Amino acid sequence: MAAVQDSAVAIGGGAQARPAAQGRWASLWTKHGAGYMFLLPWLIGFFGLTLGPAIASLYLSFTSFDLIRTPEWVGTANYVRIATADPKFAAAMQVTFLYVVLSVPFKLTFALLVALLLDRGVKGLTFYRALFYLPSLLGGSVAIAVLWRQLFAGDGLINSLLAQFGIEGPSWISHPNYSIWTLVVLSVWQFGSPMIIFLAGLRQIPTDMYEAASLDGASKFRQFYKITLPLLTPVIFFNAVVQTIDAFKAFTPAFIISGGTGGPINSTLFYTLYLYQEAFGNFRMGYASALAWILVLIIGLFTAFSFLTSRYWVHYDD
Amino acid sequence: MTHRISRRTVLAGGAALLSYAAFAPRAFSQEARLRLLWWGSQTRADRTNKVSELFKKANPGVDINGEFLGWSDYWPRLATQVAGGNAPDVIQMDYRYIVEYARRGALAPLDSYLGSVLKVEDFDDVQIKGGSVDGKLYGISLGANSTAMMVNTVAFEEAGVDLPTPSTTWEELARMGVEITKAGKRKGYFGLSDGSGVEPLLENWLRQRGKALFTADGKIAYDANDGAEWFAMWQKMREDKACVPADIQALDQFNIETSPLSLGKAATSYAHSNQLVGYQAINKDKIVLKSHALINKDAKGGHYRKPSMFFSVSAKSSDPELGAKYVNFFVKDPEAAKILGVERGVPESASVREALAPSLDELGRAALDYVSGLGSLVGDLPPPPPSGAGEAELALRSVAEQVAFGQLDAKQGGETLVNEVTQILSRG
Repeated sequence: MAAVQDSAVAIGGGAQARPAAQGRWASLWTKHGAGYMFLLPWLIGFFGLTLGPAIASLYLSFTSFDLIRTPEWVGTANYVRIATADPKFAAAMQVTFLYVVLSVPFKLTFALLVALLLDRGVKGLTFYRALFYLPSLLGGSVAIAVLWRQLFAGDGLINSLLAQFGIEGPSWISHPNYSIWTLVVLSVWQFGSPMIIFLAGLRQIPTDMYEAASLDGASKFRQFYKITLPLLTPVIFFNAVVQTIDAFKAFTPAFIISGGTGGPINSTLFYTLYLYQEAFGNFRMGYASALAWILVLIIGLFTAFSFLTSRYWVHYDD
Repeated sequence: MTHRISRRTVLAGGAALLSYAAFAPRAFSQEARLRLLWWGSQTRADRTNKVSELFKKANPGVDINGEFLGWSDYWPRLATQVAGGNAPDVIQMDYRYIVEYARRGALAPLDSYLGSVLKVEDFDDVQIKGGSVDGKLYGISLGANSTAMMVNTVAFEEAGVDLPTPSTTWEELARMGVEITKAGKRKGYFGLSDGSGVEPLLENWLRQRGKALFTADGKIAYDANDGAEWFAMWQKMREDKACVPADIQALDQFNIETSPLSLGKAATSYAHSNQLVGYQAINKDKIVLKSHALINKDAKGGHYRKPSMFFSVSAKSSDPELGAKYVNFFVKDPEAAKILGVERGVPESASVREALAPSLDELGRAALDYVSGLGSLVGDLPPPPPSGAGEAELALRSVAEQVAFGQLDAKQGGETLVNEVTQILSRG
């Protein structure tokens, strides 16, 4: 409760005159009390389930904690080990960056293409919108990852199709050269949610601009390049940031497809999967907490970088 | 009992007096409550729950809550429950983890119940030792098993190859593998699974050479040469197509469902004897248990009778004696034994084995005969694996894959493996 009242002061207090402390609390309560009561479920969730654990994990990241005995303060030892003596951290980083760099551009391009097609007044638009959005809803689920495993296994559907053309495919999911690609394809397949946002963005672009452009004899491609893309940059920016963060946090597909091992040969060892292994497989919760905070830092840096560079390519004026 | 107290405080302090009245009679009428947690299949859960019902009938006033998960979800769940001070009273424990949990003070020592509540006098001494850590008893073995080769008899027959025997050597087994692959009776089918990343199999091979995976004080007990020879042997089998190629073996997540045998890719797989029930359940062809191949005709002692799993009692249990009582019922009651069969391994108690024998089905019989008929192939029980053993197992798997996919040669594989395992064990 103390935290709730503090934030009430922080928000409501500044604008008020300064009556006696007692009266001030009372008047604040009558003024804002009902609002905070309505907010209470969310506040409890935020402090109890988000902020509290986050602070706890920051503390744990400076300890050696095996989940059973009490945590033991070790200072920065966990961070030092991450930086200097953990080849698996490097491997996980590499896999994760590769995944982000491959999956985000492919997914956004694909989402934009589909959005452009749907924007052309297709019959039954709502049906297609729903249909294409479906994978986004299902995509993170265990069932889909299992299905993906079936599709890309040595005798799965993909190889049966290839066999029609006389090509003998490997077992895609269990070969270190290809396994990451099956996860990228899975991610691209979940293009629905950026697609919906693109579609909304496309609808915002005034049609008279296109009319004027075609009167001036601009080709479709030139219209796309000169009108659609620039006016869509805020939406592209938003999608890119959200999808990048999502890609950094990807866990389920790699966990299911590799059976939790990150194999073969660490080729699907996503960062979060390695973190999970350290925490629950090897009983190193302190170390895993440090890994988690490094991830927070990396995502923060990426997002900050995106925002800093955005002023050079994102157009908000119209 | 933390549960009940917290509920009571919350309710008493809160406004929900009505619900207090509704909950109270139930909360106070229970004399005792036991929570169980185990890993395993639905079959195991059904058998376990039936035994709990029996125990409840024999002990009125006791309430039992059982919960089960798959192996890989089990350990994270148990670790978080123990960390949260919410551990179940009776915990299914594995030989691999008992040292970690016992040394960290999560398990209750059971020595004081021996003879009074726990009547395990007719257990093998070895099995009692297997559940002991630093001289104290932390786990009661639920049965014995041994590593085994699962063999698809139909695939062997189709290819006209005789089944392996207890005196089959690795060379002979490799030749059998080649013949089955060559016979080509099934599409994309190979003679053997690739066992290079299977730790119990490596252990069996090392023990025949007079070595082991770990020393008693938790260090690595083999060297880079052993590793190199091991990988070279499998490398040759891959080249000769005696075993499956790397990308098929990598599908194996080391459970029954994804083994090359169950996927219809190979005629053998490497597992534990009590898993025969599970293997047969999802394979149409008849599966039999065979001992592992020998390094030479005179090799001995590669196998051992392993406590397949234990029941331990939580150090935080409010009623450890009741927990011990339940465990004793589980391993000693003849009615319970009939329900449980050999699904968790061959029972340790001689009297229970006798009572059980007539009621066993064919599969149970086969598992029992296998474990008791290993003869001179059985050696001493190795010390419990040290902390970090789980990580070492993953390392073996990863290095074996690097060799199989051609990223390392056998010699480099041996060196890498020994380096990684040494490092993991030194970190503990």
